[in-house]
Amino acid sequence: MKKILIIEDDLLISSLVQFRLKKDGYETVLVKDGNEGIDAIDHQNPDLIITDVMMPFRSGIEIIHHAKKNHPDVPIIVLSSLGEEEEVVLEAFNLGVVDFIPKPFNPNELAIRVKRVLR
Amino acid sequence: MLKKTIISWCICLLVFEGFGQGISVRFQDSTSLINEIKEQESIPNLFFRFEFPFTEARGLFLSDSSFSWSKTDSSYISKPFTNGKEIDSLFLTLPADSIDLKFFVFEEKSDIKGVASYLETLHDTGDFILSEDQQRPEKDLVLMASRNHYEPLDEYRNKLMSDKGLFSVTLINILFIILSIFMIIFMVIFKKKRNQREYNIKAFENEIIEPLTTILFEKSLDEIKEMTPEMISSIYPKQIFQKRLFKKVLIDKIIGLNKKMKGDFKDKLKVLYKKFGLVEITKSNLKHRHWDNVVSGLVQVNEMDLTDLLPLVKEHSQSSNFHVRSQAGATLLNLSEKVDLKFLRDQSYPLSDWQQMHYLRIIKFVSSSKSLNIPILFSSENQSVREFGIKLVRMLGRVDLIEELHKINKQVLEEEKAELIKTYDVLGAHMEVDFINQCMTSDNSELQKEAIKSAGNLGNEESEKIILDLLNQDPDFPTRKILLRSLFKLNKQTFEEYILTHASHENLSIQAHLLDPVLNHV
Repeated sequence: MKKILIIEDDLLISSLVQFRLKKDGYETVLVKDGNEGIDAIDHQNPDLIITDVMMPFRSGIEIIHHAKKNHPDVPIIVLSSLGEEEEVVLEAFNLGVVDFIPKPFNPNELAIRVKRVLR
Repeated sequence: MLKKTIISWCICLLVFEGFGQGISVRFQDSTSLINEIKEQESIPNLFFRFEFPFTEARGLFLSDSSFSWSKTDSSYISKPFTNGKEIDSLFLTLPADSIDLKFFVFEEKSDIKGVASYLETLHDTGDFILSEDQQRPEKDLVLMASRNHYEPLDEYRNKLMSDKGLFSVTLINILFIILSIFMIIFMVIFKKKRNQREYNIKAFENEIIEPLTTILFEKSLDEIKEMTPEMISSIYPKQIFQKRLFKKVLIDKIIGLNKKMKGDFKDKLKVLYKKFGLVEITKSNLKHRHWDNVVSGLVQVNEMDLTDLLPLVKEHSQSSNFHVRSQAGATLLNLSEKVDLKFLRDQSYPLSDWQQMHYLRIIKFVSSSKSLNIPILFSSENQSVREFGIKLVRMLGRVDLIEELHKINKQVLEEEKAELIKTYDVLGAHMEVDFINQCMTSDNSELQKEAIKSAGNLGNEESEKIILDLLNQDPDFPTRKILLRSLFKLNKQTFEEYILTHASHENLSIQAHLLDPVLNHV
């Protein structure tokens, strides 16, 4: 079973994503801030990381930096309301994320993209 | 009387014993010392005895039990006495001659100097008060006070209360203390309530998430629409769902989710909002006396498409509160089926730049699907609304409204004329060239500049003449630059001729600038 790490400070959004991904048979780990996110990346060995950008303690960009430096093979999907900000999107892609999903988003669409990445 | 005098003299002679005057600071001689002792009922650790030699022993007074005489080697000595006031009376019962008075300090026999020194010490430590000082207590008030238990007199009690200044200070202090206590109690209660509220909000959030997520994923939109009140009430425990705070948290969660979700999730959330009966909370928010609650209500109406509540929203469109007014306007623009813009026309408060931008964004979004009655804004009594109407025609590219704008050309103020000219320019309204030419000679410099700029695009021969006339009036550099640019756009030949005949440094610089392909558009 593939393990997906969801780093999102909005509990309702993360629960929705978790619920949807569990339906597709993935194992999920939820964390609610950047510090916990980095800790989980190092200790949970996820197959995929879904992260927000604006979060307490550490930003999503810092998380991507850390993940790409220490676990370069783990794909990352960014889920953020900063989708309209070109700089953020470009920086995320430059760092090596596989996808950027802007909020508002459709969880079903996210599930399809996750499936494609993990195929 | 004679006997008393004799006795006194005898005593003086007996105790005098040759040490003369000035035995201490306080007692000038032994007589004054004896007299002082006679005035004292008791002096700590000082007593006296009577003594007489055997040779003078007489059976009569030896048997007097009040003296309790005892025999020593050479004399008879009485029991100790402490009360100095008894000395005279005791002497009267004794034979005057040969009786000796002996003093004892701490049961040790002491001469008169020793007694004087002892009394000096007692006086210095405050344990002995001279008889004359006892009659004048004010001399050693502290000492007296220390010896007497304090009891305020009734008259002083009344005096204390009747002192207005003191009374008011005391009252203020008491009130301050009471107020402080109340404030502390209030703060403690307030903090406790706030903490409790935060705790409840977190608990409710956790309670809300799972059932809401399940419904959103497990049920289709139609299934949610068909849910009965019983099914809805079974989603959350009844005792929690009845709480107003729970409903508020639920509203926040649904609206927060609605902003972040796409697709049919939005529709599901809107249906659930109504099914949960949260519209009633929104209604009460709209009627609330606090503006922040009203704004929350307006946001809820806007986010959840609660069109039934639009009449209530309309009531707030003329609110004196900026936020309420703006949000009500935005909600009406967003949700009204027919955006007739009447609420904007009747707006009595000036529209801020932010409000104009906010409304424009919504109007741009809804203009494709709803009919907008923009001309209604031109008849507003509010200048900023009229200006906004003119800007809307420009921003939305409504060429069909140029005729409507033409109707107000002569009615509006100078600032609005400038907006009209900008709009004509953007929409390419060549038919308004006369109006533009007319404004080129306006006293209002802003309007004049806008008209000159537009003349470059829309002008005719008349415009050329006006431009040349204005150039001959020696305008300032910025105006000259605009004039030459417009002339350059209108007729390059006339422009070249003008530069040739008026080859000043300024004109040549402007020409160079206009002919430069890089600087041309700067």
